[in-house]
Amino acid sequence: MLEKEIVVDLESGLHARPAAEFVKIASSFESEITLAKNGKSVNAKSIMGVMSLGVSKGDQVDLIVDGSDENEAITTIENFLIGRKSN
Amino acid sequence: MFKKWFGEKKNKTEEIIMSPLDGKVVDLVEVPDPTFSEKMIGEGVAIIPENGRVLSPVNGEIIQIFPTKHAVGIRSEQGLEILIHIGLETVTMNGDGFTAFVSAGDRVELGQPLIEFSIEKVEANAKSTITPVVITNPDHIGHLQVSLSEKAKAAETFIMKIEIKK
Repeated sequence: MLEKEIVVDLESGLHARPAAEFVKIASSFESEITLAKNGKSVNAKSIMGVMSLGVSKGDQVDLIVDGSDENEAITTIENFLIGRKSN
Repeated sequence: MFKKWFGEKKNKTEEIIMSPLDGKVVDLVEVPDPTFSEKMIGEGVAIIPENGRVLSPVNGEIIQIFPTKHAVGIRSEQGLEILIHIGLETVTMNGDGFTAFVSAGDRVELGQPLIEFSIEKVEANAKSTITPVVITNPDHIGHLQVSLSEKAKAAETFIMKIEIKK
């Protein structure tokens, strides 16, 4: 299991479009992925969950990844959250 | 990891979703935001509201009221996740003009008031009042039929009929 604190650097935070993109990326991995903010955690593969966190630019989130492809998953997702696309 | 939120399981495989608002029901492609019109969030319809009273479109449970109160997620008795997103770019209003009557975990009945908002404030401060109503867990949808209408009544006019995939 890997865990990382990340400061989100996406212009409009994780709302609507970026949230949909985030879930699509998270869902492409086998690992269980959890996103947490202020002690509230949600399944990173659920659009409703991710949007409900209300993540804005500059917020600190906690990313927890557990599974066979956790290394690749945590890097890819971190890159997305800090505004660096990795594809 | 399977929570038993629906008590005894009924043998129904169809779910009817009513309009959460009084207003005109239009196709999602008419929403001037590609996130919704390209169905990135999910399938559904959009409503051009006549007033700011948002009623529960189904019997179910509140998954989440967004911190800024401009959107609410409901899990229906059959497990559909329904997102009602009031207006476009309303997140920037930070809750001003919105009042929520329910909180996460509450059981709700069809027609129960969920949120009230000021149409005037949304018109003045956000991009649009058009309100997408979408199903965010497409893996539960076997078949979805939408019903558009010129003058829907909240909690009375059906907007979607869904065959649930078990």
